[in-house]
Amino acid sequence: MNPRIVEVRKNIMKKNDLAAAALRDRFRAKRMFVASLVSSPGAGKTAFLERTLMLARAERRVAALVGDLATEQDAERLRHSGAPVRQITTGTVCHLDAEMIERALENWPPDEVDWLFVENVGNLVCPASYDLGEHMRVVLLSVTEGEDKPLKYPTIFNTADVAIITKIDLSAAVEFDRQALLRNLGSVRPGLEVLEVSAKTGDGFDRWMALVAQRAAAARAHVHAPDGALA
Amino acid sequence: MHELSVAMSLVDAICEELPQLGAVTVRSVRIRVGALSGVSMEALMFAFDVAADGTPIAGARLIVEAASGRELDLTAVEVWDEPAHRGSP
Repeated sequence: MNPRIVEVRKNIMKKNDLAAAALRDRFRAKRMFVASLVSSPGAGKTAFLERTLMLARAERRVAALVGDLATEQDAERLRHSGAPVRQITTGTVCHLDAEMIERALENWPPDEVDWLFVENVGNLVCPASYDLGEHMRVVLLSVTEGEDKPLKYPTIFNTADVAIITKIDLSAAVEFDRQALLRNLGSVRPGLEVLEVSAKTGDGFDRWMALVAQRAAAARAHVHAPDGALA
Repeated sequence: MHELSVAMSLVDAICEELPQLGAVTVRSVRIRVGALSGVSMEALMFAFDVAADGTPIAGARLIVEAASGRELDLTAVEVWDEPAHRGSP
């Protein structure tokens, strides 16, 4: 008996892509703008998000999902902002995927939300492969990480919409070479929007909040488009 | 690394095809992995055996074709048709 070959032609990540597309539809229906944050561990995502939530709450209804392998500590910390926050503990999985987001959104958030922030697991590698249905993907890197980070992790920088340089209050102490980082970002992803902030001092947050508002408004403007793809 | 997650997605993707193929044993599976896909071929091959274990495709061989872009595609499944049921011995 001879074996036969059956042609298939199917994207292996199809399941996640389909789940992400469903999330995208859901976000559109709920008029919810969704931004995800990725970075290496320790770049300052949580501190950044903490300040973002506090500032945003003044004018919008905001919420956050945060992914970690273990502990609820980030979620607890982010709740100080007063916004609803849900923790996703992945166990051993090194990234969030669309199905995890789907599950986390069951009966949550408790009320209507304008902006949802999703803090991914600290990892510059794996999250690049998993579409979460977000409108905007933000990659954070701190002045302490070295200016060649974008060259070392091209895929994640290629899939990002915005790069945020964090901890700028430490620039002098680490002899941060701003021009080198901007050059490296530009060589990996020309035209990438880059912001610089300090979650500690609040520097740069005006520009960040304005960017979010602008992108959220643009996303709303697409709500009635026939083909809803926003990414 | 997350090749185990990807391998599990691959196993799911193959198992989804099985109902249309009738009674078969899967001998091998062909995939294309792009250099920019963020997936290591070696790690995926290892993870595939783990992910396939205990599923209808356990024991199938994974054949990986390298590609240049971002693709991560299942391209073909090689199967043996199981002999028709012969009735009670």
